Amino acid sequence: MSNKTKPSEEQLLYASVLQKISLGGLGLLIIGFIVYVSGLLPPIVPVSKIPEYWGLRVDEFIEKTGMPVGWNWIPYLTRGDILSFLGIILLAAGTVVCFAVVLPAFARKKDTPFVIIVIIQILILLLAASGFVTGGH
Amino acid sequence: MSRTWRRLFFLIAVAALVVGFYGVALGEEEAVEVVQKGSSIVWWMWPIILFVFTFLLGILAVVAGVGGGVLFVPIVSSFFPFNLDFVRGAGLLVALTGALSAGPGLLKRGLANLRLALPMALIASTCSIFGAMVGLALPTNVIQTALGATIIMIVIIMATAKRSDFPKVEKADTLSTVLRISGIYYEESAGKEINWQIHRTPLGLALFVLIGFMAGMFGLGAGWANVPVLNLLLGAPLKISVATSVFLLSITDTAAAWVYVNKGAVLPLIAAPSVAGMMLGTRIGVRILAKAKPKAVKWIVISFLFLAGFRALLKGLGIWG
Repeated sequence: MSNKTKPSEEQLLYASVLQKISLGGLGLLIIGFIVYVSGLLPPIVPVSKIPEYWGLRVDEFIEKTGMPVGWNWIPYLTRGDILSFLGIILLAAGTVVCFAVVLPAFARKKDTPFVIIVIIQILILLLAASGFVTGGH
Repeated sequence: MSRTWRRLFFLIAVAALVVGFYGVALGEEEAVEVVQKGSSIVWWMWPIILFVFTFLLGILAVVAGVGGGVLFVPIVSSFFPFNLDFVRGAGLLVALTGALSAGPGLLKRGLANLRLALPMALIASTCSIFGAMVGLALPTNVIQTALGATIIMIVIIMATAKRSDFPKVEKADTLSTVLRISGIYYEESAGKEINWQIHRTPLGLALFVLIGFMAGMFGLGAGWANVPVLNLLLGAPLKISVATSVFLLSITDTAAAWVYVNKGAVLPLIAAPSVAGMMLGTRIGVRILAKAKPKAVKWIVISFLFLAGFRALLKGLGIWG
């Protein structure tokens, strides 16, 4: 690859962080799932009961199972079904981490438009992750 | 991580999934029989069926050149007993993990372009949050009807849209010049470096409002819309458009996925086998691609997608429950 076609420093940095996080997230998703379905840790809702509820809309599902929503799952990390969420959380959080890592690289280059874009993007993703924005019916 | 290690990782993942299910099957003395959709199937069979199904879907998606995410929601919601809320939550994760695993390689090779993706991603991800909120708030039949209509529209786009390897962009527009969205990449087939720039950036950004909203609302990957906008409207070369589209999905779907996760609409029992099946299937699909006849497969998949969209439409309208 010639110097002209070589990706920018921030692009390579983003790729490298994203690769590590996505592999970690996938690994955690699989491990958490195994722990969940094998019953190594007791779940909040028994895995065999889930099919009784998975035909319901999500609000009814939460109402009937009492599963925690938003970030209320944190105190239940020793439960199998909640543990299986960790991989999903890591996969969803990876992009914010990547943006936080490349922000200084854009700032060093005084690339103001992209510094602004990255800051707004981080704020948008944090807002989505916060749980303040949810749909309901 | 070397290729051998990656292969090993995936083999272990699959083996672990199978062993996990087997363990459950042995451990549960009383298997709960679920009578849904007129069939009686032991509960733990569903995730296994889902894994095998998404594995095959992953192969077909690659061979047909169609995004796995766009196939997942209409087809799984048509043939599996899960509520559309959970199918969309899993669909977003399927599209997201596919994009997350392909994204780093595409960025490192200079095919996906960070400067091209970021402004589009900002608009699309913001709108995908609103789409997800609306999608989770509307009645199921309305979402189902809208999903059916959207899938039929996607089929028409897939069947008719033309692609241009190297679109001609005479002059970059002001916005893309200010943002310095341009690049050079090495085109292997031509054996030379290709300079590219884009035009019509404001219009492209406006279209990403709609693309993001639909991705969030229906839990679909948006490659079917990203690529034509990046390639035909903005004028990015096809390879850059396809790769940047994949990377874009990792940002757009992340934002929407958070809404579904926080709402409780991501069930690991559905999402984990789907993600594993689809990822393994796409990897096998890449190998089969060399020997398959993509055109024939593409039309089979498009026909299948049309049927799933048509069924979703009729289901939403209450004609075919």
